[in-house]
Amino acid sequence: MKNWLSSFNGLSVVKILIYVFFGVFLLLPLISVFLVSFTSEPINLLGSIADPNILSSTIEKFKNVSFANYEKIFTNLTYLSAVKNSLGLAILVSLIVIVMCIPIAYGIARTKMPFKKTIAALCTIPLIVPTFISAYAIIIMFGRAGWVTYIYQSLGGEGMLLDPYSMAGIVLVQVFFFFPYALWPMVAAFKVSDISLEEASLNLGAKNWFTFIFVTFPLAIPGLISSALLIFTVSFSDFGTPIILAPKDLNLLVVEAYREIAGFFNWGGAAILTVIMVLVAAFFFWLQHLFTKGKNYGSVSGKPKQQKLNDTKWLTRTLSGYSLILVIVPLLAMLSIVLQSVATTWGSNPLPNGYTFAHYQTIFTSSLGNIQNSIILALGALVLSVVIATFVSYFVVRQNSSRLDFMTSIPLVVPGIAFGIALIQTFNTAPLHLTGTALLLIVAYTIRRLPYMVRSTMGTMRAIKQDIEEAAINLGATPLTAAITIIGPLMLPGIAAGSILVFITVIKETSISILLAPADWAPMSLAIFQNILRGEYYTAAAMSVVLVVIVLILQAVGNRISKNQL
Amino acid sequence: MGSVKVSQLTKEFSGVLALKNVSLDIKEGEFFALLGPSGCGKTTTMRCIAGFEQPTSGIIQLGETEVNHIPPNRRNCGMVFQSYALFPHMNVFDNVAYSLNIKQLNASNLVAKLPVYLRLLNRKLGNYPKYIEQKVMEILEYVELDQYAMRLTSELSGGQQQRVALARSLLMEPAVLLMDEPLSNLDQKLRHSMRNTIRRIQQDLGITTIFVTHDQEEAMSMADRVAVMDSGEVKQIGTPIELYSRPSTPFIANFVGTSNVLKGSVIGQENGFSIIKGKGFILKSTNHADQTEVNLIVRPENIKAFKPGTINEDKLTNIIDGTVLVSTYLGSIVRYDIKVDEYQLVVDTTFVPGEAILTEGEKVQLSIDPERVLII
Repeated sequence: MKNWLSSFNGLSVVKILIYVFFGVFLLLPLISVFLVSFTSEPINLLGSIADPNILSSTIEKFKNVSFANYEKIFTNLTYLSAVKNSLGLAILVSLIVIVMCIPIAYGIARTKMPFKKTIAALCTIPLIVPTFISAYAIIIMFGRAGWVTYIYQSLGGEGMLLDPYSMAGIVLVQVFFFFPYALWPMVAAFKVSDISLEEASLNLGAKNWFTFIFVTFPLAIPGLISSALLIFTVSFSDFGTPIILAPKDLNLLVVEAYREIAGFFNWGGAAILTVIMVLVAAFFFWLQHLFTKGKNYGSVSGKPKQQKLNDTKWLTRTLSGYSLILVIVPLLAMLSIVLQSVATTWGSNPLPNGYTFAHYQTIFTSSLGNIQNSIILALGALVLSVVIATFVSYFVVRQNSSRLDFMTSIPLVVPGIAFGIALIQTFNTAPLHLTGTALLLIVAYTIRRLPYMVRSTMGTMRAIKQDIEEAAINLGATPLTAAITIIGPLMLPGIAAGSILVFITVIKETSISILLAPADWAPMSLAIFQNILRGEYYTAAAMSVVLVVIVLILQAVGNRISKNQL
Repeated sequence: MGSVKVSQLTKEFSGVLALKNVSLDIKEGEFFALLGPSGCGKTTTMRCIAGFEQPTSGIIQLGETEVNHIPPNRRNCGMVFQSYALFPHMNVFDNVAYSLNIKQLNASNLVAKLPVYLRLLNRKLGNYPKYIEQKVMEILEYVELDQYAMRLTSELSGGQQQRVALARSLLMEPAVLLMDEPLSNLDQKLRHSMRNTIRRIQQDLGITTIFVTHDQEEAMSMADRVAVMDSGEVKQIGTPIELYSRPSTPFIANFVGTSNVLKGSVIGQENGFSIIKGKGFILKSTNHADQTEVNLIVRPENIKAFKPGTINEDKLTNIIDGTVLVSTYLGSIVRYDIKVDEYQLVVDTTFVPGEAILTEGEKVQLSIDPERVLII
């Protein structure tokens, strides 16, 4: 009896600890930042509980509550244009991505187009590269001294084909580096429509194009809309591209919020922008959720579908050519970075003036610390996520704790820059003075990436039947022994796959690193960012290559693990 | 040890009563079946005994000890799960050895625990002591699986997996063996031979066994005694013969074999017979009832069917007139559905080659031995 009770209590304590963790590091910062948007001064909620002096000053601040910041959204032209520009950017990017991807998705889903595997493989490149590196690659290509510009000018063009430091440049990066997020859901959407429906349409006398427009396409629309909403959220929350490419006169929410906090320490301004970002992102996330849940024509018929693939020569060749041209752009961008990293100098020529490994030498001597930091921080976040995610999925799957499920998915809707601002605001004074420590950085990474980890471990946990756990207990094992000897080993593949994902995303993480990392804990992403700002492009490129290689290796390991799982 | 006593067991799941005052008294060495349709509470009863569910009220005793507050890992009730619940990451040997590992784990100090944990996590990390190896191989031989000791459980057939699960439970030398629909995942033929295997092992070891099933044939052919459950209540407990010949309710009469249920009222007594009158019939029975409104139970094989006028009526009692609705030839028997007033009676007659089968629409006379007319 003692054993049963104590293990029960142990689990309950863990559950409470997890709630406290999320309460302190997720909910408290978000609530604080919401309050600050009214008071315009930092609110120390934790301090108010601990110290009566702070409490009285907090109460004092609450007396000054006003809607001034909210009025500013409409009166302050900077804020207003930031909101407009950010929404415009996200809408534009999602529309372009969807239109651009329709032929590729159709080609992959419904035709026998040549090079399908190559195209699919090339589509993974954008997912590996952090956006601020892609943004920088676009500068190498389209900038004043870029090789695309060179080719354009030698063909008789004037100036630049496209100025990377502009809205157009940002759109270009986001379109080419976010489209894979939409592509795979869209492929699935095109698979919904059954070939037999199309044959029925043809049989009833419709022409091919008529069938596509009135049968195939409408069936894919729910999937397309959902993909568009997903791209909207991703583009809206992206910090890496705008911070590198946004010109001074182009206001975007993420950049504006970053400037308010890092440049002017304007708490009220940063808070109101954060609140707007979270609300918009949450709204579109909710919309997307609604779409994926509600309209699924795919489940109408229960019989297995036979897919007959379109094999019309001119069509498949056109589609394949079109797709290859598009998916090769990210590859070219990455190759440009690689070239830059081994160039002595690279001026306005299509190729570098000479080649050297000096930049790699530089980073492996002077910037080894950044690589180390990245790995240590990522490992820290990984360990923390593994522990929390394992328990969370246990509570969600075995005890139906839907509240915990909801809590762990909140970070999905909070843009990184917003979360960073909320954390800085909350933890920059006693009693929990954590801003500028590695600990807060690790906690921030963990919370931001936990939803992915939880999804992975929850899947494996669901696959383990309760019977198996009960059988172990029935054979005399205590719940703890059963967890160690049965549940643990069975969950291992899910945990491994999830932790590699966490590790990769933490190494790529930009917004949190730039906002929160202290100088002595600067990870690679921050070092690259600073190098770009300082104009040390060659070392930035070399460091980017190292980062991408690390990610690539881990991704390969991860794929191997998840394959073995099957 | 060995006997199981359940008294006034009640279990509530969010306002719904899954068990209502279930009481069972199972003797040591008995093969006891819990029989009932799905959702009747038989599995819940078993899970309460195993300790996976806490009863809302009531007492569970194993031997002389009350076990309500003993955790499931200390109850020593071997359970064979419906899905077998074999550990997918372990081979047959490791699965069966699990309980011995646990026993060693509980008996040893912190340092000695480590090698046990290691070999539980991965076989290559530690060797089993000789005595464990011997015991496991012994039981595997007993269930004829010694050839498969090093196989992964996923490589075994359903029947083999079933025997691994059984061996795994038996090796812990449980006071009681609990089996939750152990045959439901097997095909027809295998089910038949597994029935015999389970029964043989149970008799060999003399182990008290509780067996949950929804299949009356399974329960009747294997168990010493059967408890029939319906909507959370025990309706009747008895040997298979008692249940068949003296079902206590029409539900049981129909659940255990096929029955004809007729409603009638007792209109008098005559030479020790009760006379019952209903729609379309007047029947004599050797049974007696205290109330006047009664149900009559007649098994299909206890009704004889004749063409009218072919038999001297004086020799027979309990003659009823009817019409054949359907006749089905089933090999050794012929089954008739016969309309008698508002009733549709099922009648089984032995098929005699050369004798004509009654055809649909034909008038027929039925005769029932008063001893076979059961009043309940």
